[in-house]
Amino acid sequence: MTAGTGTTTAPAPSTVTVRRVSFPRVLASEWIKFRTLRSTVWTAVITAVVMIGFALMMASLMNMAASTPEMREGMASDPDMQAMGMTGTTVITLGYSFGQLAIAVLGALIVTNEYSTGMIRSTFAAVPHRLPTLWAKLLVIVATTVVVIALALGIAYLVTMPILDSAGLPVDLSDPTQLRSVGGCVLYLATVAAFALAIGTLLRHSAGAIFTLVALFFVLPIIFSIVVGATDAAWAEWVNKLLPSVAGERVIATGPTPDNLLEPWTGYAVLAGYTVALLAAAAVTLKRRDA
Amino acid sequence: MIEAHALSKRYGPKLAVDDVSFVVQPGVVTGFLGPNGAGKSTTMRMIMGLDRPTTGHVTVNGSPYARHERPLAEVGALLEAKAVHPGRTARQHLQALATTHGIGDRRVDEVIELTGLTAVARKRVGGFSLGMGQRLGIAVALLGDPRTLILDEPVNGLDPEGVLWVRNLAKHLAAQGRTVFLSSHLMSEVALTADHVIVIGRGRILADTPVQDLVDGASRRTVRVRSPQATELAEALRRDGAEVTPTDDGALEIAGSDAARVGETAAAGGLVLHELTPVASTLEDAYMALTADAVEYHAGDVADAAPHETGPAPAAAGPQDPTAQQGDAR
Repeated sequence: MTAGTGTTTAPAPSTVTVRRVSFPRVLASEWIKFRTLRSTVWTAVITAVVMIGFALMMASLMNMAASTPEMREGMASDPDMQAMGMTGTTVITLGYSFGQLAIAVLGALIVTNEYSTGMIRSTFAAVPHRLPTLWAKLLVIVATTVVVIALALGIAYLVTMPILDSAGLPVDLSDPTQLRSVGGCVLYLATVAAFALAIGTLLRHSAGAIFTLVALFFVLPIIFSIVVGATDAAWAEWVNKLLPSVAGERVIATGPTPDNLLEPWTGYAVLAGYTVALLAAAAVTLKRRDA
Repeated sequence: MIEAHALSKRYGPKLAVDDVSFVVQPGVVTGFLGPNGAGKSTTMRMIMGLDRPTTGHVTVNGSPYARHERPLAEVGALLEAKAVHPGRTARQHLQALATTHGIGDRRVDEVIELTGLTAVARKRVGGFSLGMGQRLGIAVALLGDPRTLILDEPVNGLDPEGVLWVRNLAKHLAAQGRTVFLSSHLMSEVALTADHVIVIGRGRILADTPVQDLVDGASRRTVRVRSPQATELAEALRRDGAEVTPTDDGALEIAGSDAARVGETAAAGGLVLHELTPVASTLEDAYMALTADAVEYHAGDVADAAPHETGPAPAAAGPQDPTAQQGDAR
C-alpha cells in the first residue's frame, strides 16, 4: 500500500467484511428503506387511525339506529347494506374502503419513489438480479399491512365493544361468517397492497400509478354501480362484479350474496388472480427494462 | 478490469453507443473523456448492468456485473450524484445499501468519515448541496471496498478542495492495484487525474491512449505568420523542414519550427512579414480537434469498420487520426 497523500486516508482493504447478497439481506435492506421514510410510517399510522375512527363512527350510528326504529328500517331495506351484512364485524371493518386507498398508495409509492428519485439505480447496483428486491418489497408491504390492519381491527374491536353491546350488535368471532369477515379484511387489504406494488412496478411513475389505482378501486366501482342500478345491462353486471375491489371486498361482507355479485371466496380469488398476474408481469418487466 | 466488447446501445432512432470496445486496466486511473451526450454515462450504466446493451457485452473483473455474488465488492459506482431518496439521511441510505451485502455499521461510519460527511451523516439528503451529494455517492462507491471503481463525473459540483480530494483518492485507489474508471467532459481534469484516457464522441471510441501521449501531442507549438508573399514564404519554410498549413483567413500555420527561425527564414529570403505570432495549442484544443473529427467522420468511415479484437489495437488507430490530419503536408 502506498502512503496516503495529504489528508486522504485509504480504505483498509483487508478489514471490510462483505458477504454474499442473499434474500434475507435484501429483505433487511428493504425494511430499512421502508421504516426510514417518514411518509411511509405516517401513511401506515393514518390508515390505522382512520380505520378505528370509522369503526367508532359506525358503532355510534348503529347505537342510534337501535333506538330509532325508522332509521333501523331504512338501513335494513337498503340493498347495499343488505349485501354488506349488518353484524358487529361490519362495523369494525367498515374503514377498509378508505384504508385501501392509503394502502394502495403506500404499495405503489415504495417502488415508484425509487424511480422518481433515482434511488432505483443504487438499489439495482447493489442487487443486480433485481427480482429479490421486488419480492422483498412485496414481503415488507404485505407484512406491514397485515400487522397494521390487524392492530387497527383489534383496537377498533376493543373501543367499539361497549357501544356495540348496547346496540345489540356484538362482534362474535365464534360465528364463522364474522371470523371470515375480520380475517378477510386483513387479507383483502394485504392483497390490495401487493396489487398496488405490481402496478407501481409496471408504471414506474407515482402519479400514473396512483391515478390507475384510484380509477380501479374507486371511480370504476362508483360508475358501474350507477350503470348496473340504472340499466340492468348484463355486461355491466359482469364487469362490475369482476372489478378488483368489487370482487375482492366480497370476502369482508357478512350478508347473503346478491345475484349480481360473487360468493365471498370466489370474489377474493378473482382479486388474488389479478394480483398474481400483475406481479408476474411486473417481475418480467423489472428484469428486462433499463433502470 | 473492465472489458467491453463491441458494445452498442440504441434508444429509439438514436445510437447512443456505437460498437465500442475497450479494456480498462487495473493499477492506473483511466479517464473516460467526451462531450456531454457522447455516451459516457450510457456506457457506464451498461457496465453496471443497469442498461441492457443492444448488442455486445461487457465484463467486470472477468464476468458480467450481475453474475458476481458480491457486486459491491467488485464494483463501486458513482453513477449520478443523487441516486438517493431525499427523505433518508446519508447514514440511512448507506445502511440500506450496506445491508444487502451484510456490511456492518462500522464500515458505514468509516466511509462517512472518509468522505468528510460526518457532520451531516444524520441529516436528510434532500437538503444536501451538489457537492455533498457527490461525496455521498463516492461513499456508496467505497462501501464494499471494491476492486473496481466507476465514477461518472466525480468532481461535478465539488469545491476546489473537494476536487483535489477526488483526484488524490482516485490516484491512491489505483496505486493500491484497483481499477479506476472516471468520466469527465473536461480534458484538463482528465489530464490531471488520469494515466490513461479513452476518448468517446458520438458513441464511438476516438482515442485509447496514455494521457502523456495526448499531452505531448497537444503541447506542440505552432507559429502563425502573415505575409503579402505567402507563397514564396511557404516554399522557403518547407525547404527549411517546417510544416506549413494555410488558414482560412490567409495566414500560414507553421509547425516544426519556432518564431525565431521563421523570422530568420523570411529575412534571408527578403520576405515581408505582417504578423509573426507563436501559438501554443492547449489540451482543450487537442480534445476539441479530436471530438470535432468525430463529427466529420461520423457520416463516412471511421477507419475501424471491423471491430478490433484486441485492446491495444484501437489505441494505435485512435490517436493518430488527428495528427495525420494536421500533418497533411508531411
